[in-house]
Amino acid sequence: MNDAIRMQISAFVDGELPDNEADLLLRRMGQDAELRHKVAEYLAIGRALRGEISLPGVDRIHERVAAAIDDKPFTEEIEISGTAPTKSIRPLAGAAIAATVALVAIFGLQQTMNVDATDPAVANQAAVEIDSSYTVPRPIDDQLRQYYLSHGATATENGANGINSRFVTLRLSEEAFEQSAEDEDTSPAVEADGLPVQP
Amino acid sequence: MSFLHRQTLSEFVLVCSSLLMVSAALADYDEPREWLNRMGAAVQSTSYEGTVIRIRGSEAEALKVVHQVVDGVIREKVVSQEGNGLEIIRNGSEVHCILPDRKSVLVEEWDDQSTLFSTLPSSEIRFGNEYDVSIVREDRVAGRQTKLLAIRPHDSYRYGYRIWLDTATGFPLQTELIGDDGSAIEQVMFAEISLNKDIHASALAPSYSTENYQWFNQSARHVTRSVDTDWVCEDMPRGFKVIATHEEKMPGSEAFVTHILYSDGLANVSVFIAQMGEGSSQGPSSVSGSNSFSAVVGDHHVTAVGEVPAITVEQIATSMRAR
Repeated sequence: MNDAIRMQISAFVDGELPDNEADLLLRRMGQDAELRHKVAEYLAIGRALRGEISLPGVDRIHERVAAAIDDKPFTEEIEISGTAPTKSIRPLAGAAIAATVALVAIFGLQQTMNVDATDPAVANQAAVEIDSSYTVPRPIDDQLRQYYLSHGATATENGANGINSRFVTLRLSEEAFEQSAEDEDTSPAVEADGLPVQP
Repeated sequence: MSFLHRQTLSEFVLVCSSLLMVSAALADYDEPREWLNRMGAAVQSTSYEGTVIRIRGSEAEALKVVHQVVDGVIREKVVSQEGNGLEIIRNGSEVHCILPDRKSVLVEEWDDQSTLFSTLPSSEIRFGNEYDVSIVREDRVAGRQTKLLAIRPHDSYRYGYRIWLDTATGFPLQTELIGDDGSAIEQVMFAEISLNKDIHASALAPSYSTENYQWFNQSARHVTRSVDTDWVCEDMPRGFKVIATHEEKMPGSEAFVTHILYSDGLANVSVFIAQMGEGSSQGPSSVSGSNSFSAVVGDHHVTAVGEVPAITVEQIATSMRAR
């Protein structure tokens, strides 16, 4: 990646890139994963320099989804018919795992970034201290997670869907999965209705 | 008046009427709220194919999307560009989420109209007087001419939006969620897009044969029942009104929780009221652009959740009272 591209990215994240160049850069971002990583790095640097807290990375969400699928025991199989050929479908165990976790994985993977430590701007990031007066939000527990999901579903059902509600739901599903994976390590798996799952 | 003069006058009146009608139509399109109506219709009816970039905080992600609407039925394919090969295949309300490297498919029901763009609230409840909606300028996004709409809240109890709408179709090519400092909290934009082109069935088919994959379905939805409630918010930010009230059983629990949904016509806040139990946590939390705040009110645990700033959910949660 040459200096011209780096300067373009820098201008882009600062909102100073002319429209036609921004258009071109976005198209390249759609094709180029390395470029997206680099933009993410610059965004992270910007956040750090502004003193914003960076959340701990979400490690390999997709793999956790897959691991959960591998490890979960199941009690029953049901048949569904749909657009795809009839398949043997198993209910996922756990409180809130849903298909949306996979889409969350799409949006969540970039949260853990391989920031280039040789970049001076990144080196400066280490010197940014967290404001001690900052109130650390509490983690999303299972009850709160259910509230977020119910909020999104109910708003949609009542015709009150907001512009960004889909992403909220997806993000929550990711959290649900993480919690479920942790539960799996420490306690017997349970179904959504609270009944134990037979191994 | 001669016949010729009468005919000329009639033609003149006809031409004037036509011009007035055209002017009225153009005037409608200059109305920002009419553009929002067009957007709502376009999101539900437009077929498209393109690449979406989402930028939030320090994340920058890309998705390939094919979206087809035929007779109101949505078919869609979303493919992650982040290397894991995840695919979402939607046919109507049935969604198959394919994880190729694990040879697994998750099945889910979605009942809304779009994967990537929610529609706006229905016109019956859309917008009170808490926002200004204006067309800021013309712009270009993904090589197409757009109108930039700004939705500005009058106070810091709600977020603002910037939406770039395709001039020809009203389709949103870029959206930004704006915080009270004017900065973008989240941006979703098309890097490239083809609108209303013929989409071949093969473009919507899975890229993988799922013949030997394991298939899984999601857990059941919550149980709900409509109720009246004695709970009110004594210090509700201006403009929020009750949209729905019901009781709801959360998965894994037998106890009903009262759920009140408020809307200011654009932003929504849910309030959940439960009996105090062990482990009922308190304080703020956030997910993406949504915030929540939990507080103890008497012997109840009250939580407000919504796509609004933290100050809004805190004020609502702490001012809920049973009459």
